[in-house]
Amino acid sequence: MFETLFIGLSLTSVLLLIALGLSITYGAMGVINMAHGELVMIGAYTAVLSGIYLGFNIFAAIPLAFLTAALLGLLIERVVIRRLYGRIIDTLLATWGVAIILQQLIRLEFGMTFFGIRIQGLGPGLQQMRVPSYLMQPYEFAGIMIQPYRTFIIVVTILLTLLTWFLMYRTSIGVQIRAIMRNPQMAAACGIDVRRVSAMTFAYGSGLAGIAGVLLAGFRTVMPEMGANVVVDGFLVVVVGGVGSLLGTVLSAGLLGQINGIVSVLYNDIIARAVVFAVVIGIILWRPNGLFSFRSR
Amino acid sequence: MLTLHNVNSFYGRSQALHDLSFEAPDGQIVAILGRNGVGKTTLLRTIMGLTDRSEGRIDLGGQDIGVLPTFARARAGIAYVPQGRMIIPDFTIRDNILMGGFAAGGARHIPEIVPELFPYLMDNLDRPGGVLSGGQQQQLAIARALACKPKILLMDEPTEGIQPNIVQQIEDSIIRLNRELGLTILLVEQNVDFAKRAAASFAMVENGTVVASGAIGTLTDDLVSRHMAI
Ligand SMILES: Nc1ncnc2c1ncn2[C@@H]1O[C@H](COP(=O)(O)OP(=O)(O)OP(=O)(O)O)[C@@H](O)[C@H]1O
Ligand SMILES: [Mg+2]
Repeated sequence: MFETLFIGLSLTSVLLLIALGLSITYGAMGVINMAHGELVMIGAYTAVLSGIYLGFNIFAAIPLAFLTAALLGLLIERVVIRRLYGRIIDTLLATWGVAIILQQLIRLEFGMTFFGIRIQGLGPGLQQMRVPSYLMQPYEFAGIMIQPYRTFIIVVTILLTLLTWFLMYRTSIGVQIRAIMRNPQMAAACGIDVRRVSAMTFAYGSGLAGIAGVLLAGFRTVMPEMGANVVVDGFLVVVVGGVGSLLGTVLSAGLLGQINGIVSVLYNDIIARAVVFAVVIGIILWRPNGLFSFRSR
Repeated sequence: MLTLHNVNSFYGRSQALHDLSFEAPDGQIVAILGRNGVGKTTLLRTIMGLTDRSEGRIDLGGQDIGVLPTFARARAGIAYVPQGRMIIPDFTIRDNILMGGFAAGGARHIPEIVPELFPYLMDNLDRPGGVLSGGQQQQLAIARALACKPKILLMDEPTEGIQPNIVQQIEDSIIRLNRELGLTILLVEQNVDFAKRAAASFAMVENGTVVASGAIGTLTDDLVSRHMAI
């Protein structure tokens, strides 16, 4: 039972990182970023490629993936999202387009396949990220089998969640972000540079997605479609937790991740997904704004 | 001095201000008068850069602020107390006030005059803004605007829908802010008696433009009944 919970907890952790990014970008900008999953995917490929070409291990890959995804997020914000401000459906479609472009860039090896050049680590196939053996070797502690890699994921997630909490609730930029989430016009009228702060928020949320990608790469195969698969779950977590609520996102990721983990061990993955969807629908009917939500937007 | 030259302003495709010109001399309270729906709120929102689009020149002390984004106008010294107050219910009273500080630059703090004007707010700094009564929320919105360290205060019907015992306090505080701190105030007001008592000049708005303006002494009953009677 403990091991089941533990496996559920590590999946939950990755889910939480993905959902945190989605939640703060949607909360601050009203943007549903359909390319968020692809930022996860880019993070995973950053780990694979930096492993092959730079000899980076997972510890070095994490900050690099954060930076890569954050810069890419910033670019998406500048080139696409900023031009479609306040047009939710257009933004949704445009970022979906960005998602497809990013997937194709990886599949077509940045277009190099057209010139017959192959880039190792890219392409339509499956990739693996190497994880150091001391993170893979389970060991026994007080009668319980400890999976070091899963523990690592959980610890990284806890640290990043605390960092996010600190940024949001204990810094000036966090106050600005929360003000923008609640009333962007009033925030601007109080001297907050809404565009700049929103762009930074977007970059941060994208960076978290990048890190989630690295962690995911440690126990899933890396492929161009991987982001699209996980991001749906990220959206579910956001909807259940309440947009822009850190606590809601954490609890909701925990709830959905654990339900998924437990049911898939007791029955199977397909029933687990069905149960998760049923719970999500139930919660949305009960509380349309999510479990925790300030009334706004 | 705040001057508007031939300002047009739009919500989407519909035009809400038409060739509006008007000026607010430094240190004066200027009453903005007119019937419901004529564009008084839109005038303040246009000065703040909160309509979808505007044309014409908006001049603050020689600088055309009409081309600046909203946050830069706030930092240039314009603070906004909106109709409906728009405080943030789940922020504490302290955080609501300090929000204005982003326009002032430097470390944010509660302005010295706030405890004098609104002692109740100071005694409840850690409570959420949402628990306050309408009148207290109005005081909070004024305190937040003061934290912007403004040169000009835009106030939109500050006594609308507020219990009578607080109306007097708010009216007194508006007059004090002008007389003691020398703040220029654009005051949108339905109550002509208060406008006459507080303001030095007025601008009468009709159909999105200024149809009469001048020293408050020239605001005749005839003007009021022509442009404000329903
Ligand atoms: N957000 C908006 N979108 C479209 N039109 C608007 C919007 N806000 C106001 N208007 C229109 O602009 C015109 C001026 O409205 P405004 O709110 O400025 O009037 P007002 O003088 O402040 O009225 P009141 O005394 O009721 O506050 C009205 O015709 C109104 O319908
Ligand atoms: Mg109005």
